Amino acid sequence: MTNSNSNSNSNSSKNQKQDLGAYFLELARLGAARGASGVEEEEEEAPSELNTINSSGGFQVVSTDKLSVKYTTLALHGHDVGVVQASKPAPVKRLVYYFEIFVKDAGDKGQIAIGFTTDSFKMRRQPGWEANSCGYHGDDGMLYRGQGKGETFGPTYTANDIVGAGINYASQEFFFTKNGAVVGTVYKDMKGPLFPTVAVHSRNEEVHVNFGQKPFAFDLEDFEKQERMKQQTTIEKISLMPNVSYGIVRSYLLHYGYEDTLNSFDMASKTTVPPVYMAQENGFSEQDITYALNQRKTLRQLIKRGEIDAALGKLRDWYPQIVQDDKSATCFLLHCQKFIELVRVGALEGAVKYGRIELAKFFGMAGFEDFVQDCVALLAYEQPRESSVGYLLEESQREVVADTVNAMILSTNPNLKDSHGFLQSCLERLLRQLTACCLERRSLNGDQGEAFRLRRELNVGKTSKC
Amino acid sequence: MSLFWIVIRQLAEIEAMATSKKVITKEEWEKKLNDVKIRKEDMNKLVMNFLVTEGYVDAAEKFRMESGTEPDIDLATITDRMAVKKAVQCGNVEDAIEKVNDLNPEILDTNPQLFFHLQQQRLIELIRNGKVEEALEFAQEELAPRGEENQSFLEELEKTVALLAFEDVSNCPVGELLDISQRLKTASEVNAAILTSQSHEKDPKLPSLLKMLIWAQNQLDEKAAYPRINDLSTATLEDPAI
Repeated sequence: MTNSNSNSNSNSSKNQKQDLGAYFLELARLGAARGASGVEEEEEEAPSELNTINSSGGFQVVSTDKLSVKYTTLALHGHDVGVVQASKPAPVKRLVYYFEIFVKDAGDKGQIAIGFTTDSFKMRRQPGWEANSCGYHGDDGMLYRGQGKGETFGPTYTANDIVGAGINYASQEFFFTKNGAVVGTVYKDMKGPLFPTVAVHSRNEEVHVNFGQKPFAFDLEDFEKQERMKQQTTIEKISLMPNVSYGIVRSYLLHYGYEDTLNSFDMASKTTVPPVYMAQENGFSEQDITYALNQRKTLRQLIKRGEIDAALGKLRDWYPQIVQDDKSATCFLLHCQKFIELVRVGALEGAVKYGRIELAKFFGMAGFEDFVQDCVALLAYEQPRESSVGYLLEESQREVVADTVNAMILSTNPNLKDSHGFLQSCLERLLRQLTACCLERRSLNGDQGEAFRLRRELNVGKTSKC
Repeated sequence: MSLFWIVIRQLAEIEAMATSKKVITKEEWEKKLNDVKIRKEDMNKLVMNFLVTEGYVDAAEKFRMESGTEPDIDLATITDRMAVKKAVQCGNVEDAIEKVNDLNPEILDTNPQLFFHLQQQRLIELIRNGKVEEALEFAQEELAPRGEENQSFLEELEKTVALLAFEDVSNCPVGELLDISQRLKTASEVNAAILTSQSHEKDPKLPSLLKMLIWAQNQLDEKAAYPRINDLSTATLEDPAI
């Protein structure tokens, strides 16, 4: 039954509850978004072939698969270079970008080049001969960066060599490799989208380009790992206040109501050497966070076991104000979860009946609609677990409901100082801040480099990829 | 927004422009924070990783039951590892060595430095307990041969034996060897070696992430003024510095 006392007092709390509702609904739908692919960021497009439209005509021929180029005529001067760019610029939202060429034929003079250019590059010149371009040349092993004269850089290269060029966004450098080994690096002061570029400049020269469609000769994964390690080493040198991690773990256990774990943890800490000393200067006093610890633990257990009716019963006894408004997000999530549990055990008729009584009213309510539709969709499948709404049957879904109830109970604490502190644990706030800072820094840096991804950090040191 | 705050904001922006820093208000920043999605199960994994690496066996077991998170290491091995660590922390080095060998004889075989440090600790304990003759015998028979193989071992050995030269060990230049911190150091070393032998990382991930946060904020400070978290234990956002 909805509470119809909508005077100005309860309006503000209603708004607050709507905020909470939206917050938890978003969490509930997180599983849906994840279902498709584990990717949290949109994939940037990466080059996969050569651009046949903008290369100056006549001097060279690009193969039909757009992955090799051959110089067909007789080179006469410095403005008839057969230079080709990739069809797309190098993606920036990653640690490193890299591509390779295989020199099939060094032709008359072996005047091959690999490097990067911008979209305003004069397409008859070697990369590096013009400003705002760079190229590593095979005939003299020199690096050209816009001046007429090259600088000594690496070895020359010729037929059957595999040469690579890459951008290291972490160190803001270009690097080049020959046959799997780095030959040199140089600071990248070119701005703007950079196109992988290859060039041939004497009769019969031919190169094949590898944008990653085949394995590289260079161990790119290891290179990336080394780069991350460098950053990691710098970070490890930072010192932390003693016992900070300990305190954060403890407050996490308290926040989510993991009572048994907390008790074990506290007992063990008494006997550690050296003993852990916890200063009570946290934003919340001990009392605030142990508030209703046992009840929160009980409710979490019930929900994690799928015993929604029992959970609702306890809530009505202990915290009727939370389940008073049947149209609140909390009630919505509990009812949906009950529905899901019925589907899980195959009680489809029971589910339909329940849905008619409790879920029907949410159709047409903004914010609730998408989720309730997903729930009801479970009925359509023989194997709901494998469907697009299969995420609803996962453990993580029960977890969301448990966390919602947990937060709502915390919000009833009369001693609550921070009006939003009950929504997120300290650990969560720290991780959000970390992610946001990394993203902001990257955005201010032309969007170059990797984003912070908790998943990847958790899997570092393991052989499986995240 | 009152005129007062409008002026304050403009002053902040002028200041920021002077130092060419982008100003991000608390409101804007909170919106960015809200756009970040952190999965509960990832946080659970982080906590479990902490409990397991630091050796809180019972807590890890309870956490597995209460949260459904699977530890990434066999909990049975933690008890053994903690027993070794504890033995060293209490000065029972012989016991610790026996336990390590029971756990995995290869650990000490493949870790000469660790083995030397354990033996060194044994020597320290003998000296601490006033067993001078035993200590000398032990040093000559067990440690000296190792010292011959390795220059740094020899130096360590000499430092340790030097303890015997002083009546008042608490005031001598090598007195720190008798400090409990020396036991803790050795205990940490053996803990790490066991974890490594079990193909597990020797440090929990949480402290690294906290350091990363400090680092990320310091990096961002160069380019923007935004709400920082200065106290990690409360994670409260401070208003952007004006």
